[in-house]
Amino acid sequence: MSIINIFFGKLVEWILFPFRGMSPWVGMIVLSLVTGIFMLLVFRLTSNQKGIKSIKNKIKAHILELRLFQDNLKISLSSQGKILKCNLKYISCTMKPMLIMIIPLILILIQMNLWFGYKSFSPDQTAILKVKLKDNYNPVETDIILIPSSSAIIVETLPLRIEEEKEIDWRFSVKENGVHHFDLKIGGWTITKTVDATTSHLRKISTIKVRKNTLDQLFNPGEAPLLKDSPIKSIELTYPNESMNLFGWHIHWIIVYFALSVIFGFAFKGLFGVEI
Amino acid sequence: MSKIKRREFLKMGLAAGSMMAAGSSSDMITRVFGKTDTPKKMIILGFDGVDPHLLNMWMKAGKLPAFQKLQNQGTFTKLRTSLPPQSPVAWSNFITGMNPGGHGIFDFMSRNPEDYSPDFSSAAITGAGKSITIGNLVLPLSSEKAVQQRSGKAFWQILEDHDIPATVFKMPGNYPPEETDQRTISGMNTPDVTGSYGIYNYYTTDYADLQNSSYAGGNHHEVYVIGNRVDAKLPGPDNAFKKGAPKATIDFKVFLDPVNPVAKIVIQDQEFILNEKEWSGWKKIHFNLIPTQSIKGICMFYLKQVRPEFELYVSPINVDPADPAIPISTPPNYSKELAKRFGPFFTKGLPADTHALDNAALDDESFLEQENMIFQERQDMFEYELARFESGVLFYYVSSTDQRQHMFWRLLDKSHPKYDEKLAREFGSTIENIYSRVDFLLDQAIQKADKDTVIMVLSDHGFASFRRSFNVNTWLKEAGYHKLINDWKQGEDGLFMNTDWSRTKAYAYGLNSLFINLKGREGEGLVHPNEKESLTREIARKLEAYKDPKTGEHPILKAYTAQEAYQGPLVDQAPDIVLGYNRGYRVSWSSPMGSISKNIMEDNEEKWSGDHMASPEVVPGILLMNQKINNMSPALYDLTPTILKVFNIKPPSSMIGKSII
Repeated sequence: MSIINIFFGKLVEWILFPFRGMSPWVGMIVLSLVTGIFMLLVFRLTSNQKGIKSIKNKIKAHILELRLFQDNLKISLSSQGKILKCNLKYISCTMKPMLIMIIPLILILIQMNLWFGYKSFSPDQTAILKVKLKDNYNPVETDIILIPSSSAIIVETLPLRIEEEKEIDWRFSVKENGVHHFDLKIGGWTITKTVDATTSHLRKISTIKVRKNTLDQLFNPGEAPLLKDSPIKSIELTYPNESMNLFGWHIHWIIVYFALSVIFGFAFKGLFGVEI
Repeated sequence: MSKIKRREFLKMGLAAGSMMAAGSSSDMITRVFGKTDTPKKMIILGFDGVDPHLLNMWMKAGKLPAFQKLQNQGTFTKLRTSLPPQSPVAWSNFITGMNPGGHGIFDFMSRNPEDYSPDFSSAAITGAGKSITIGNLVLPLSSEKAVQQRSGKAFWQILEDHDIPATVFKMPGNYPPEETDQRTISGMNTPDVTGSYGIYNYYTTDYADLQNSSYAGGNHHEVYVIGNRVDAKLPGPDNAFKKGAPKATIDFKVFLDPVNPVAKIVIQDQEFILNEKEWSGWKKIHFNLIPTQSIKGICMFYLKQVRPEFELYVSPINVDPADPAIPISTPPNYSKELAKRFGPFFTKGLPADTHALDNAALDDESFLEQENMIFQERQDMFEYELARFESGVLFYYVSSTDQRQHMFWRLLDKSHPKYDEKLAREFGSTIENIYSRVDFLLDQAIQKADKDTVIMVLSDHGFASFRRSFNVNTWLKEAGYHKLINDWKQGEDGLFMNTDWSRTKAYAYGLNSLFINLKGREGEGLVHPNEKESLTREIARKLEAYKDPKTGEHPILKAYTAQEAYQGPLVDQAPDIVLGYNRGYRVSWSSPMGSISKNIMEDNEEKWSGDHMASPEVVPGILLMNQKINNMSPALYDLTPTILKVFNIKPPSSMIGKSII
């Protein structure tokens, strides 16, 4: 898991490196462009380009047939059937590149979520720190101490222990901008969780720290995992969700990403000689 | 795509990208209507319920320097209030320059004479028409619409006709907001998402609290703590898309720590932790009606207690100003602009939850915390509006002055049944504090004003103690004007359910209104129109003569007949008698909704201890201006033509008021 996370983490980080501190739109456009072109090339190499071209021509022919014989019900119905059949063939021609691309694309999306999915904390904002314990620990009977790194983060509540969820929560508030952290002391272990309260626009934010070598680690690759024998299953901070601001409209980053990738894909398909 | 076209496309893309990268730099600012520069400007501050006696006392003590400064610059006088001195009536006088005979708002409540059913006087719901029912699903073919019931043009509409811009903030009774291009946001009478004037929800395991089956203005829910968890439902609006219009609800969970006084609330996609005696701040929620329709709202949670009894208060669910389910501003974007700048804010007409304090769902301290949040929000928005005020009129309204006097007068008046010396030491200065805080607002307005700015400060009425309550309908029954079907059921039913209309000559509805059961007007009218005048005078005379057996005082100072009290085309819709109470008295709690309780007179044992339903001369309002006036006894309706005069606009003939400058 760690190797996969490191590879894709570094890949996205390198692409975005020059654009740190800039508006997220710049990084989003660059990432969409790069991944759009990458997907175009993969599509060209792995799809049946000739077959796609031939099918598209056939679809055009049948559409023409529909227009010419629109008064003839029999021919119209037959054309529509053929168009449907061609569409299925087209989908089958694109299946291979889709299957090849889907896993790397998901891994890239997981990484992108760290960059575009959440906002840093701002001063006076409150949030929850959630600690999930392993199943054999009872949160009420477990001694756990939470130590903020400085007075820039204030713990505002006593621990709230939820036995049924094996969970201990605290509410905290951020008082100053900067990168802060909490130290959690539990059974001889000291575990650190970073609190991001920076003002930088484009920044990687890890909401949750999970245990090593679990599926959770694949989906939460933002920071070094907890060791497997740690008494803690995960530590999470409830960062606020981020959205892309388009002239006052707040849009989820994934919608923006897919829209831009499609636009770039179509814009550059002629340049790279790809039949979509 | 050719090479050139592709390059153009990329250039366009880059340009768009850089624009997007800059983000939405222009905040959504609502356009200012009309002239951007007017020779004169006017700042009007409406401080609901500020009392001339208290104001004068604290001004003399040097506690209100801005008020003192304004008096020195021009005028401070008592302002004649409306009859009756209820806020919707009084502010309607101010809005239109007419009295209720012209604008048609006679009381908080109106009644349907056909079936004697009550209604709110300021807004009516229309348009609920046919619908199609498919199984459990109801598809309405037309939507409901709230319609303003006040007649006559609002002064900001007249200003609009003359191209004078105005911002009118939370004007009472301006719901739904009058159609205009001016910036307005609705005030008193704006409902919550359930369509009521504000229903809170209170969740408790305390069996004793739940013994009272009905709490006005709130729902008290019994909940259980099982495994340190509480599962509950938050009721919302009626779901008109379902057969029988059941309440839409939201499930939520509360996790309690087994030892520490702290709880986590999980509702929809949000979770937050509260310490005991702590407010949550605004939480956005939505009630799903059908998959494509939902109603958005905002509410606050207050964790009153974790143990030994669990007690959680949830405020009335206000309309979300960022996405209002009903019209609350003009232009519609104005509320969104404010929400964007300030976040969610109180939109319910009277935001302070006085019912929750009366029903002990909130205590004095937590109620004041809520009130402070309301005032702080008002102050922030006032500073915002004041900073950008350049021309025309800025009207700004504050409700906290009224609400705190209603709820804390008991700690000023040692003879009030609810006076408590210990509480008086702790909260006795609450009213004085709010006068100081509005003094601060006034100071900001004075600092902003230049030589061409007219400043006007007004209150719609003053205040008096409410020690004893008068059951009008019980008095009518004892005097033989109101008959019951079953005398033994007296005091059990409201809404005149036990009234024998065939033998009843008069009934009282609302806070100051009394009606003759008139043949041809009322559904089961008994009194012939020829007998109406003499009967009206007879009842008025007897009411004025009645003495409180406990104090020997007259609860009714003056009983006004509609003909002597009002002018205008809508006089025929007026109550036949308008009751002007004496200082210390008010209508009872049950009488306004058609209940005939056992006793005529009762002590007021509620925390709602100050009131203003008296005869107008008992509770005048205040008027301060930074210039001299030519009328030593101005009335609320005189201020409307005065505003128009500042901008050299001739008042319409329907206005009965005369300019005082």
